[in-house]
Amino acid sequence: MDTFSNIIEWILDKLKMIGAVCLVGMTFLTCADVVGRLFRHPIFGSVEIVSFMATLTIAMALPYTQKNKGHVGVELLVRLLSARTQLIVDICTGILSFALFGLVTWRMAVYGNTMQKSGEVSMSLELPIHVIIYITSFCFLIFIFIVLQDIINNIRRLKSK
Amino acid sequence: MSPTTIGILGILIMVIIFFSRMPVAYVMGMIGYLGFTILISGKGGLNLLSRNIYDVFSSYGLTTIPLFVLMGQLAFNSGISHRLYNTGYKWLGSTRGGLAMATVSACTAFGAVCGSSPATAATMATVGLPEMKRYKYADELSTGSVASGGGLGMIMPPSVVLIVYGILTEQSIGALFVAGIFPAILVTILFIISIYIICTISPEQGPPGDHFTWKEKIKSLLGMGETLAVFILVIGGMFIGLFTPTEAAAVGAFGMLVVSILRKQLTWKGFVNALYESLGTSCMVMMLIAGAVIFGKFLAVTRIPFDIATWVSGFNLPSFIVIGIVIGIYFIGGCFMDALAFVTLTVPIFFPVVMALGYDPIWFGVIIVMVTEMGVITPPVGINVYVVFGVARRVIGEVPLESIFKGIFPFLLAIIVGVIILIIFPQIILILPNLMY
Repeated sequence: MDTFSNIIEWILDKLKMIGAVCLVGMTFLTCADVVGRLFRHPIFGSVEIVSFMATLTIAMALPYTQKNKGHVGVELLVRLLSARTQLIVDICTGILSFALFGLVTWRMAVYGNTMQKSGEVSMSLELPIHVIIYITSFCFLIFIFIVLQDIINNIRRLKSK
Repeated sequence: MSPTTIGILGILIMVIIFFSRMPVAYVMGMIGYLGFTILISGKGGLNLLSRNIYDVFSSYGLTTIPLFVLMGQLAFNSGISHRLYNTGYKWLGSTRGGLAMATVSACTAFGAVCGSSPATAATMATVGLPEMKRYKYADELSTGSVASGGGLGMIMPPSVVLIVYGILTEQSIGALFVAGIFPAILVTILFIISIYIICTISPEQGPPGDHFTWKEKIKSLLGMGETLAVFILVIGGMFIGLFTPTEAAAVGAFGMLVVSILRKQLTWKGFVNALYESLGTSCMVMMLIAGAVIFGKFLAVTRIPFDIATWVSGFNLPSFIVIGIVIGIYFIGGCFMDALAFVTLTVPIFFPVVMALGYDPIWFGVIIVMVTEMGVITPPVGINVYVVFGVARRVIGEVPLESIFKGIFPFLLAIIVGVIILIIFPQIILILPNLMY
């Protein structure tokens, strides 16, 4: 189990780094396009590449944000409960999240497959869109492993109480 | 069961699950998916999930979010907050409560390059609180001014909440940004007046600081130079139609990076931190939007927003009463939930109602940002208060939460006065967007 967790952590770390590179890349590319346009030489297809990089930036950040509990939730009532009840509530919501994003991961892969079969490409550069969708699906897969890890950790903590 | 009943049930279940601490974005997505599946079909629901999430992630219009977030993070790590505070201090520091006035002015200036309210509060608390402690300012005034001033970061463009509102309601982000400038200045002035009144009534709250010569004051203006330059480039570029919001955000992020490198205030570690923080914040915002879009599709199928609009117009109530009720709901909701989460959740419901009454969508956007801004400083959630509480413990020592909440009260009144002024004089919001290209 620990080896599996370590592998997931390692992938999470690499995804985060690629996401950061994409963020820097989209900043520089957009600026280069603006400067190029001033000199009547805009970068062809920059909008498409920036959109792809933005998709990757967000998708790659999914496991990292989940790991850091970066999403907004309403803590108000749960805080008033006992530590044990809080753990039970967290396990239940974890299972719901796992189920929801399990579906998202599966459907994202199906969507990628549909796009691949239809041969859909981007308008200007004719880049294969399904590749980005598959990568997004993979990021969701790592994301649900992080959710699963949280559920298992919470169950362990509950048992030890 | 009718679609409306299913919709109402869905909303009720969603509110109950919210209190389980499950992320708001996930709850909206889950209820939206389940509701859509019940009303349309299983396959329709599954397609809704994957396609809407991918569409949000890959939308070129939304690329503006990670870029503006990065710009704010770079500003946070670049040390410009010290120079902005120094300028405010040189000009206002010698008057009673002058340091608090300098703090709120610096918050507005910092908000011009940072779209996050807690980030503005954290930055200015780090800079302002030790100075105010040194001049024996009361904890209520010092922490209250920083926590409330931080909220100005949300109104002063670029503002993440305004971007999200613009995307959800298909309004021009550039227009929303310029619309926020005068209201932010108005609230700053009202904050300064509040501090003046507090220090007139009880002078011990904010004793005067050092005097500076005119030469020193004018020289200090240079400290605002880079912030002003980036702000004018970003907002001015959008105003005259030179940049799209995404381009403006990229130019702003690049500009902040250049400033930080030239000033030698950004370490490699700081840069990497800024990138990772931007990833986390952007992902959180984009997931909220994805959740809101899925939930919005479900709501549209139930026709609840349109039914509410028809129902409200059936009462023939004066429009100002309806808008007053809507604002009241935003105020109460903002007290219990994160501002951005609350806006993404409720805009699909209330926007058609407000439009049916004939209000301007840009005006409404700025008003709800102002109102939810009150939520960041009011109990029980009041994120800025907790941020300032945490920073204060680190830089000046423990300040009781009650003191901070007590300290924000006069500023809360100032925002309420500001909202009333903006309702009576909507031109303050609309004059700049109407002048746009």
